[in-house]
Amino acid sequence: MTDNKHDRDHVVGNVDITRRTFLHKSLLTGGAVATGSAVGVFQTLSSMEIASAAMSEPFSFAWVSDTHLYPRELNQRFIDKTVRAFSEVQAMGDKFDFMVFGGDLAQLGHPVEIELGAELLQEVTIPKHFIPGEHDWYLDLGESWNKHFGETPWTFDHKGVRIIGVDSVGRAPDYWSARGMSNEERMAHMSGLDGSQAGPWSGLGSEQRQWLSSTLSDWPKDAPVIIFSHTPFYEYYPPWNFWIRDWREVQEILAPWQNVTNIHGHVHQPLYNEIGGMRSIGMLATSWPWPYAPEGVPALTRPMLRVDPGDHFDGVGWSNLTMNAEAHMEVEYMMWREQVFGVGRADSGTGDNVNQKLSPRISDRGWTGD
Amino acid sequence: MQSFKSKGLIALISALLCVSLAFVFMVNRASAHKVSHDADTLKAFNDAFMEQVILGDELFHGATMEGINMSNTGMACAMCHPFSSDVHPHEYPKFQEQMSEFATLRDMINWCIEKPNEGEIIDPDGEAMKALEAYIYWSNRGSVLDPGRH
Ligand code: HEC
Ligand SMILES: [Fe+2]
Ligand SMILES: [Fe+2]
Repeated sequence: MTDNKHDRDHVVGNVDITRRTFLHKSLLTGGAVATGSAVGVFQTLSSMEIASAAMSEPFSFAWVSDTHLYPRELNQRFIDKTVRAFSEVQAMGDKFDFMVFGGDLAQLGHPVEIELGAELLQEVTIPKHFIPGEHDWYLDLGESWNKHFGETPWTFDHKGVRIIGVDSVGRAPDYWSARGMSNEERMAHMSGLDGSQAGPWSGLGSEQRQWLSSTLSDWPKDAPVIIFSHTPFYEYYPPWNFWIRDWREVQEILAPWQNVTNIHGHVHQPLYNEIGGMRSIGMLATSWPWPYAPEGVPALTRPMLRVDPGDHFDGVGWSNLTMNAEAHMEVEYMMWREQVFGVGRADSGTGDNVNQKLSPRISDRGWTGD
Repeated sequence: MQSFKSKGLIALISALLCVSLAFVFMVNRASAHKVSHDADTLKAFNDAFMEQVILGDELFHGATMEGINMSNTGMACAMCHPFSSDVHPHEYPKFQEQMSEFATLRDMINWCIEKPNEGEIIDPDGEAMKALEAYIYWSNRGSVLDPGRH
């Protein structure tokens, strides 16, 4: 499907679209039932079926996120994978109206990392839109990010869809000043998924929520909306900072619109959830995959197949998304392997963890700021 | 890597460890299990364990120690295994698909050091390995023992 040089090693030549593509309608024919927990699929999906007004003109776009670039000397792998994603997007460029970069371009928010990312991004010449991730932000509180990629939130209308990009990372309650943390320490505590110091950092915050309501206020309730955010718009396993703290308020704002699609990064894994008229879809990282949380994985999610840690191109990739003629979002995970989703319990990232109980870490709890 | 405070912490842990091990050693060696344990003794045992857990937690989250180099990619174990999830200590020993052989948890710790981390494997009976094992078991405590499971 793409003909670029990086494909040779890792993509099986004749890609089976039905295995790689996740259409909402395919769930109705039983695709999701493999998890054994897809109770409520029909009901929720049928409510989504009637919701949407038809589209004037379908379109596609690409999503890349979570490249987590280190300085060049330290880690070549993440660069290789970023380059591969961008050149694959570029090779399919005719198909895409734009690309979204969904945050976590850098690993520790260092200007060198962000500049490296900006340089690699030049490979992609179709229009690009950017939202930040927490790894881009907490060294200099967004200074380098905003300088290169502009401020968030933003909005534009495209072929009958209102498209919105929000900042769900940069408005954390201040956990650093009172503890006298340096900028590097602030970033280090933010950068671990399982840290205990940064608290519930993800959120839109009241100012941005207000912006969101007023941005949507003139938009017909049955017309489609796509919202890009770094983190998902619901509560998914708070101990790992996978969630957004003001999800209740955000969901309330979005509730009147019947066809909202929230595309998010940050979780480094396929996720799918529906809440009222909103569907939330989790994208792959290019850098590394995360295991599914021990609890709270939405029942509608088709978990991905276990990852081989010996192959750093495994379990990662980018996404090819299409708003189709029925105003439904189709997601094709451009994962650099043949099979994306697990089938049996022993294959999936969630099913085999039934015996696993986890505890929060302790060594960063008693940190006093010395 | 979260190593900004790690060197001092590790020195402290090592010091505490020596003291408490010495305590446990002196108090109990001759009389192990011959009289019942008082609260202080049990606390000393637990402290000796928790110090290893904390050291292991630090190593797992990217700190380093004299003489070892567990990563050359900038990545720490915790970046792929938050709370040490998906490490499955309760499933060992088992046939390990990645190695195509019957393996222990320690074998697989070293395999992940060598492959995803591109680091140098550590002494399977050394201090760092025991600490990693302590942290991994501690954070998975309560999991159902299920050896051999894939
Ligand atoms: C780049 C990501 C990555 C890093 C870094 C990483 N691992 Fe892994 N590790 C994985 C993946 C993916 C698996 C496979 C999980 C599965 O099969 O369910 C795995 C499996 C394991 C397993 C075996 C689990 C099983 O049931 O087969 C152990 C033990 C392990 N890792 C320990 C470690 C340790 C210790 C470190 C740090 C030295 C580490 N890993 C670093 C990704 C990583
Ligand atoms: Fe990320
Ligand atoms: Fe993130």
